[in-house]
Amino acid sequence: MSTRDEAASRPRQPSKARATATWILLLILVGGAAWLSDARWGQITGIFTDGGRYFRLMTEGLLQNPFSDPWAGYWTRAFDAMIESVHMAWVGTVLGAVLSIPFGFLAARNISGAVTVQLTRGVLNLIRAVPELVFVIVLMLPIFGFGPVAGALALGVGAIGTLGKLTAEALEGVDPGPVEAAKASGSGRLAVLRWAYWTQVLPEVMAFWLYRFEINVRASAVLGIIGAGGIGQLLSQLFSKRAWDQIGITLLVIIIVTVIVDMVSGAIRHRIIGGGKAKKDRVRDDAVEVGL
Amino acid sequence: MIELKDVTVRYPNGVVGLDGVSLTIDPGQFVVVVGLSGAGKSTLIRAINGLVSVTSGSLTVDGHEVSGASKRELRAIRSRVGMIFQSFNLVKRTSVMNNVMLGQLHDIPAYRSLVGAWTQAEKEKAYQSLERVGIVEKAWTRASQLSGGQQQRVAIARALAQDPSVMLADEPVASLDPPTAQMVMKDLQRINRELGITTVVNLHFLDLARQFGERVIGMREGRIVFDGPGADADDAVFETIYGRSLTAEDILPGRS
Amino acid sequence: MSTVAPAVPEAPARPRKPAPSKGIIAAFVVAAIFTVWAARSIEFTLMPLFTNLDNGWEIIHQFLNPSWGFIFRVWDAWVETIAIAIIASFVGVVLGLVFSFMASTVTNRTRWSYRATKVFLSVVRSLPDVAYVLIFVALVSIGPLAGILALIVFNIGIAAKLTSETIDAVDTGPLEAADASGAGTIARARWAVLPQILPNYLSYCLYIFELNIRASVVIGIAGGGGIGQVINVQFSRFAYENVAAITVAIFVVVFVIDQVSQQLRRRFV
Repeated sequence: MSTRDEAASRPRQPSKARATATWILLLILVGGAAWLSDARWGQITGIFTDGGRYFRLMTEGLLQNPFSDPWAGYWTRAFDAMIESVHMAWVGTVLGAVLSIPFGFLAARNISGAVTVQLTRGVLNLIRAVPELVFVIVLMLPIFGFGPVAGALALGVGAIGTLGKLTAEALEGVDPGPVEAAKASGSGRLAVLRWAYWTQVLPEVMAFWLYRFEINVRASAVLGIIGAGGIGQLLSQLFSKRAWDQIGITLLVIIIVTVIVDMVSGAIRHRIIGGGKAKKDRVRDDAVEVGL
Repeated sequence: MIELKDVTVRYPNGVVGLDGVSLTIDPGQFVVVVGLSGAGKSTLIRAINGLVSVTSGSLTVDGHEVSGASKRELRAIRSRVGMIFQSFNLVKRTSVMNNVMLGQLHDIPAYRSLVGAWTQAEKEKAYQSLERVGIVEKAWTRASQLSGGQQQRVAIARALAQDPSVMLADEPVASLDPPTAQMVMKDLQRINRELGITTVVNLHFLDLARQFGERVIGMREGRIVFDGPGADADDAVFETIYGRSLTAEDILPGRS
Repeated sequence: MSTVAPAVPEAPARPRKPAPSKGIIAAFVVAAIFTVWAARSIEFTLMPLFTNLDNGWEIIHQFLNPSWGFIFRVWDAWVETIAIAIIASFVGVVLGLVFSFMASTVTNRTRWSYRATKVFLSVVRSLPDVAYVLIFVALVSIGPLAGILALIVFNIGIAAKLTSETIDAVDTGPLEAADASGAGTIARARWAVLPQILPNYLSYCLYIFELNIRASVVIGIAGGGGIGQVINVQFSRFAYENVAAITVAIFVVVFVIDQVSQQLRRRFV
């Protein structure tokens, strides 16, 4: 190599101006946001002055004998409310899953026509962009009134957006071989969709459903604070009373139930997608999470 | 100077990597280790810089005991031992310069390394290392844009930036095409001669071993079965090392 | 010699159709029972859709006539919402990055601190964002600060989970090289791991910013400032035409930011 005989000239270090400019811009953005947010930063000391006290009060609530009055009642109430949230989340997920199936087929490029796909995707994006809370306020409360039914319906409608999109993407990724084989044997259109497409994507789609359920469990708590029942409603009542001992109990119940739901659902998801490919699963998980 | 006294390495799964090996490698020597895969070549090299821990026996590098060294001591020993890998092990998504800096991280305080504030001296060291392997013009290119041979030379520069007294190379040319393999081996030889860095290279092509090994060590089932100058390592010797007759695959393709 | 020779050489016995695996049947039965139980316990019904449509119609009618002008009358709240999302995302993802390095065995080789980080993060993620807003409202009183702090905690959970899983899957070659040269834990994480995960990480950052804009409604309703607070006030005043206008505007803002951020994300990965 010629470069080795005569010392090659050292290349100039590329300018760092762009990186520096990006950082400065970002810091200005964050600094500007800190100012424009209208946050009273001075109050941040509240965390240190009151934080310890509230934490102690919460812990005291947890340390009381849970089988004596009134603590037993607090625990039962928290569990009942959390179970109601889980039920709301489950019904919402089932609704969303069922409704998302046709949307998924309509939005898959390798199944439906270009116009249908564009239209369906538009609807799905629209649903995805609206927070569930807005669904509750706008559509459900006026008709269904306050309560978990409105919450479940809102979660169901909200789930259509993400589940429909993910189902469509799964359908677009199927192995075309079986589809071709089914068509070659003269199968009808519905049969092809059912046996060549749906059987291929079912495990993946069921994993999406479970994932959505995990998300809905958290979302159902949110809906509670505007009156859709469940743990959210209980929490906002307790916080307005500043009943820290009961808040401690309720938060712990939320953590316990959510962790259990996540664990069970996660284990089933991994079983469904085939346990051996742990690494692939994880990548898939990433994709799902970002997609949802 | 590297000294092994009755070194045994037993992996947690029970496999014996080294079986009572005793060996002395003098400063500045160029040693080629040959043997089938699983013969313990890789274990030998990784034991020298503590990537594999020794089960029993004593292993010293420049008088420092590697087996049983604390994390801190081990890092100090490793900083004096450069290592080159079969798969180059570059961080592909960053520049060649930053990859070479990886070799100097041992001596750079965390607050500077976090933001990548290299000093002029550190950059100078990196440039010199790159110049020594003739690839300085790529200093600010992304590592992912280099060919295999170029990547391996950057990896050599990374090791050189450590100012090593020992250079270890684990199958450095196994993923390269024959002409590039020759070039990389010549680089290693030149560096060994110019800087007097003790070099230990694992190879499985016997012609390269003969050509470059001023000393060839043959390994089989974790034991040393041959130790002598490359010129003495004829086909009969290799057949004992490999435990079978030689085939065309044992020779670097494209050469006779 | 048998007297009755079979006409055809005996065909191998046909296999019986295997019964579907017990596990799958059990899973479906459990799912069905759970669905019925859940639906009954929340007294699920679609009847109001037919009976109550008239009741709801009044409100829906108001919704269908949004007062567009209101969107701009609450300009400050919009600025506040975006600002909250920017600060919370920035601080959240920076801290989340630190936690993600602590929550992967690739970068954290101290067993107990890895375990502790994992447990801490799973507790953080199991609480819904609303719970954090309520907690911080109690600590620093109602307003954007509570919203910012709540979102920061929430973002740490997500950023750390996504990023630590990416770290788990990095190419270990450069790590070995860093170890072989005696690099310390921090330097190793910065130079052998970070460059590998950076594109994914940046993509997660934008994703989290999107989530934060979306969450602003929730945050505000629980007392964390921003446009959500406006919705809450208008909602309690039954000013549905204002709520409707804000809702449509939120939808547009979320949609636009999603699109921009997805374009950027595509460039990173």
